[in-house]
Amino acid sequence: MSRAAGALVLWAAAGLAQAQAAPEALDWLRKIYLATEKLSYTGTFVYQQGERTETSRITRRADASGGVERLEVLDGPPREVVRTRDEIRCYLPDSQTVKVDRRRDQRAFPALLPAQASILMEHYSITMDETARIAGFECQAIVLAPKDELRYGYKLWADVQTGMLLKARAFNRAGDAVEQFTFTQLEIGNVPRERLRPRQAARNWRVEQSAVAPANLAEAGWNVHAELPGFHKVVEIRRMLRNAQPVGQVVFSDGLAAISVFIEPIAGRAEPPRIGLATMGAVNVYTREVAEHLVTVVGEAPAASVQRIGNRVEFRQPQ
Amino acid sequence: MKSKISALMDSELDARELHEPLSALGVDGDARETWRTYHLISDALRGGAILSANCAPRVAQRLAQEPALIAPLPSAIRPPERARWFVPSALAASVAAVALVGWVALAPRQGVGPAPAPIAQAPQVERAKQPAQLPLTSAAQDYLIAHQAFSPRNSLQGMAPYVRSVADQAPARKP
Repeated sequence: MSRAAGALVLWAAAGLAQAQAAPEALDWLRKIYLATEKLSYTGTFVYQQGERTETSRITRRADASGGVERLEVLDGPPREVVRTRDEIRCYLPDSQTVKVDRRRDQRAFPALLPAQASILMEHYSITMDETARIAGFECQAIVLAPKDELRYGYKLWADVQTGMLLKARAFNRAGDAVEQFTFTQLEIGNVPRERLRPRQAARNWRVEQSAVAPANLAEAGWNVHAELPGFHKVVEIRRMLRNAQPVGQVVFSDGLAAISVFIEPIAGRAEPPRIGLATMGAVNVYTREVAEHLVTVVGEAPAASVQRIGNRVEFRQPQ
Repeated sequence: MKSKISALMDSELDARELHEPLSALGVDGDARETWRTYHLISDALRGGAILSANCAPRVAQRLAQEPALIAPLPSAIRPPERARWFVPSALAASVAAVALVGWVALAPRQGVGPAPAPIAQAPQVERAKQPAQLPLTSAAQDYLIAHQAFSPRNSLQGMAPYVRSVADQAPARKP
C-alpha cells in the first residue's frame, strides 16, 4: 500500500512542477480581451467540429455605448445573430423565429482581472507558444492547458499588433481538437453602420422573449451544485424558452468555461423529452428526468463533467 | 496467505479453497492490506480509474445502506475473464507499478497540440452508466442560446461562439 501510495505522490509532484503560468501569457489574454472590446472589424471565419465545417462572417463596430456586433452564417440557412449593448437577437429563417435575449454578460471575464488571475491559474497552466501567420496576420499563440480532466484546454492565436483573436482551438485530454475557429480573412478598422443591420426583414416572424428574472431554485426545493473543483455559481435566474412555461437556469463557471443547468416541468411539453447526451464541438448537452422535471445541463466542458453536475441535481419537497 | 489472496483475485480457487482467504480477510488486518494493495496495483497497471487510497470505508458505508439482495449460488456465476498478468510477489508488483506510473508521468507526449499537465490529485472519475448519445435537435438551440450569453469566451471571441447556438441541425452531408 505505502509503496503504491508513494508512486501516486511522485505522480502528483510531477504534475505540480508543470503548473506554472507565464506572466507574459496572462498579459496576452488581457490584450485579447481588450481587443475584443475596442476594435472595429469585419472578417470571415471557419468553424470546425468533427467532420463539419461552417463559414460565417462577423462584423463589429465599436463605439462609446458598447458597440454593435453581427454574426451571419454563410453556409446553409442564412442565420444571423445581432448583439447590441442591451440585447441579443437570433434570426432563424428555418423556423421564422427571432429569439430575443436580454444581454446579461456585460463583458463578464473577471478571471482576467489581476486579483482573479490566480483562480484561473489554479485550474489551467497558461503558457506562451509558437508564433504563426494566420490570414496574413503575424500571431502569437497562448496555451491554456487544464490541470485535470474536468475541463477542456484552449490554444489561442492573437495578432501581435492589435491582440485580435485570429484562431481558437479547444482540445481534449488526449490533445485532440474538439472544435476550432479560424479567420480566413479579416479587416481591422472603420466599419460603416449599415453593415450591422440584419439582412433578414423578419416581418411576421414569431418573436420569443427570454423575459429573464432573478430566481431562487433552492427555495423551490432544488439542490443544484457545481460539485466540480473551480466552478462557482455565476447567476441563478428564471426565463422563458419557446414562449412556454418559465425555466430555471443556474450558471457555473471556472473563469473560462461555463456550464448551465436548466430545470423545467415535463408536464405540458409538446413531445416527450429525450434523455441522454448530445455534443456540438466543445459543448455537451446532458438531459435527465428528476421529479417530473426535465434537467438539461449545457456546458463547454467534457461530457463527464456535464453529466456529473446533472446527476447531482436533487429535488426535495420544500417544508 | 499473500499467494492465496492473489489466487482469490484471479478466480483460481475452487469452492473448498475459498474459505481460508475469505475468513482471513474478515479478521486479519494484514490480509486486508494485501488485498487493497493488490487491487491498487492492478488498477494502476491496467490503466483503470485510480480510486482514492481510502475509498473502502465509504464503499462499506454505501453497502450498509443498500437493501439485501438474494444472490445466485457462486457456482452459477462464471468467473470473470481476467488477464494472467499478476505478479505473485507484492514487492515485484509494487516496483512495477512505481516504474509504470513514473514513466506515464514523465514521458513526453507525442502528437499535435500541447500535452495537458498530469493530474495533481487523482479525481474520482465517475464511470457511471453511459447515457444514450443523441443528435442535437432544434429544441437544444434554445438552451444553447440561453447558455451562450453567460460564457466568458464571449469576452475573448466576441460573438463567434454563437455559431454553435444557431447551428444548422440537419445531419452532416457527406462530400
